[in-house]
Amino acid sequence: MWFWPNSIKVRTALILSVLVTILWLGAAGITARILSNEMGNVFDAALQETGQRILQLAVIEVLGRDEDGNSQLVTALDSGPEFFTYMVRDDLGQVLLSSQNAVATQFPQGLPMGFSTLAQARLYQEAAVSGSIILTIAEPLAHRRTVAGEVALALSLPLLLVIPLSIVGISYGLGFGLGPLGQLQGQLAQREIGDLASLQTDDLPRELQPIAMTANQLFARLKTAFDAERSFASNAAHELRTPLAGAVAQVQRLRQLTQEPETMRRADQIEVTLKRLTRLSERLIQLARAEGAQLIAASPSDMRIILRWVAEDFSRGSDMGRLRMDLPDQAVLSTLDPDAVGIVARNLFENALRHGDGGQVRVHLGLDGWLGVENVGPAVADPAALAVRFMRMGGLGSGLGLAIVRTVADRAGIAMTLTSPLAGQTGGFCALIQLRADT
Amino acid sequence: MRILLIEDDKIIGSAVREQIDADGHSVDWVQRLDSASDALGGAAFDLILLDLMLPDGRGISFLKSLRATGSQVPVMILTALDQISDRIEGLNAGADDYLVKPFDLSELSARIGAVARRYSGNPNPIIGFQTLQIDLAARRVMRAGKAIALTAREWVLFEAFLQNPARLFAKTTLEERLYSFDVDVDSNTIEVHISHLRKKLGAAVILTERGLGYRLGQA
Repeated sequence: MWFWPNSIKVRTALILSVLVTILWLGAAGITARILSNEMGNVFDAALQETGQRILQLAVIEVLGRDEDGNSQLVTALDSGPEFFTYMVRDDLGQVLLSSQNAVATQFPQGLPMGFSTLAQARLYQEAAVSGSIILTIAEPLAHRRTVAGEVALALSLPLLLVIPLSIVGISYGLGFGLGPLGQLQGQLAQREIGDLASLQTDDLPRELQPIAMTANQLFARLKTAFDAERSFASNAAHELRTPLAGAVAQVQRLRQLTQEPETMRRADQIEVTLKRLTRLSERLIQLARAEGAQLIAASPSDMRIILRWVAEDFSRGSDMGRLRMDLPDQAVLSTLDPDAVGIVARNLFENALRHGDGGQVRVHLGLDGWLGVENVGPAVADPAALAVRFMRMGGLGSGLGLAIVRTVADRAGIAMTLTSPLAGQTGGFCALIQLRADT
Repeated sequence: MRILLIEDDKIIGSAVREQIDADGHSVDWVQRLDSASDALGGAAFDLILLDLMLPDGRGISFLKSLRATGSQVPVMILTALDQISDRIEGLNAGADDYLVKPFDLSELSARIGAVARRYSGNPNPIIGFQTLQIDLAARRVMRAGKAIALTAREWVLFEAFLQNPARLFAKTTLEERLYSFDVDVDSNTIEVHISHLRKKLGAAVILTERGLGYRLGQA
């Protein structure tokens, strides 16, 4: 249901408030009903008492008359409204005595002795002198209804204050009672996405302890898995690189020591092959890292420093001076794992240097976290396809560089676009990637 | 310079030692951290080349301990750990440079020179001295546009004076810079090299403080 609030606190407060309101109104209604019945009995007793008193007086007055058959109208002592009207008849129906506002039609003959109710009035009838003098006294029902209405109103008016106060009290009480839930929610909501530290469970009530402890166990397992993956990748990289490094160093020494052209040529070939093998093993390890490692760090890093370091690695040898770095003066912080940023930058730089026209590669980092790497060169018909694993442009490269970057982007949930040709040009290639994982 | 190489891989270590030696520096190679501690206790080094994964511990811990003692000796990490986080950890521990294996030996030589220049307080690789133009990075000395050829050991000796222009070098200190523990040095080796330097660069380039040692001449 679209209107159903998505909050335990608000839902509970709403349900409790509605229930309390219904209970209050129900209690008030039942009370009013009971009061109304009790008041009806009181009114009946008063009607009966009044009728009996009037009947006694009427008997004395009628029997004391000199002449029979005369009726008498009793005037009221004041001109105010009369709650009771009465009429005294003989056994033949002749009116002997009546109150000032009594109308004969309101006192039909043939009513049973005792109480009876007509449309407009409650009546009481009693006879005296062997049934020869009959008194009928009436009280308008409107009077009773008015009184019952006033009673109901008197009961309802306080509820206008009590019900809102109850709702406020319930909300406050729930807020206090659900405080630990809010603290747990705060602990989870405020932590960085890469933060796998345990939740504080000491102050949590026993209902929440299992949840927090289960979450902590999950965090611990995740951390162990990530650490194991990182350790494995790191060890694998180390074990692969060390013998390759030894071979490269030895072949370079051989190249320096020999003056024999054929030996020099072969040494060069071995060195090229070893470096190609190094790059390929590096790519495969990077791919494993991109697919399995934790890509969000617990604390943010300045992207500029990482980009400078990676660029520095390319600043020697044949690529010296080809990277034109355009970095902002202010820090560009991101929680993207520094190693993942290093992998992304290394692959983007190498891709642009390798597949460009041999000229400069422009590297631009914006304060908004967007990293752009542009190279001049031939246009690529389907640039997005280059991010597919083992898709090589012109058969060059490992076919893994941009696929690794795409894997990092997808797993970290960051945007990445590949475009070719460059805007307003007929050639060139541009890779754009958002390095801020929290955007 | 006298360099301490801490590297457990014999294939890499031997190649690196040969390269440094060919550059004219003196190098002591150890394969364990405890041996490195012993070496540091016995001599003053101008640079340490440190591998991170060693049989008896982590190079990072060794570096932190070294810095904790107040040692300012430049340290360059040579490692196969290639991640940015490894580099951050290394530099935070007090390393001056970080070179990832596999590396070109020529790059290693260039970086050794750069670290040495940084610690001598003169990061500019090209300096002028008397009538000489000296490119510290390229290890080249020119006079009036004409290159003067120096051997590797002559260069290292001359570079030591250039990096410490006011310092009086004892003969034994210069010997330590040129040769490691395991090389026998003839008693007149330093005199021979100084003599060659004076012939090539000029008699006033290096002054003799009789009975004390040598210092760089007036600029």
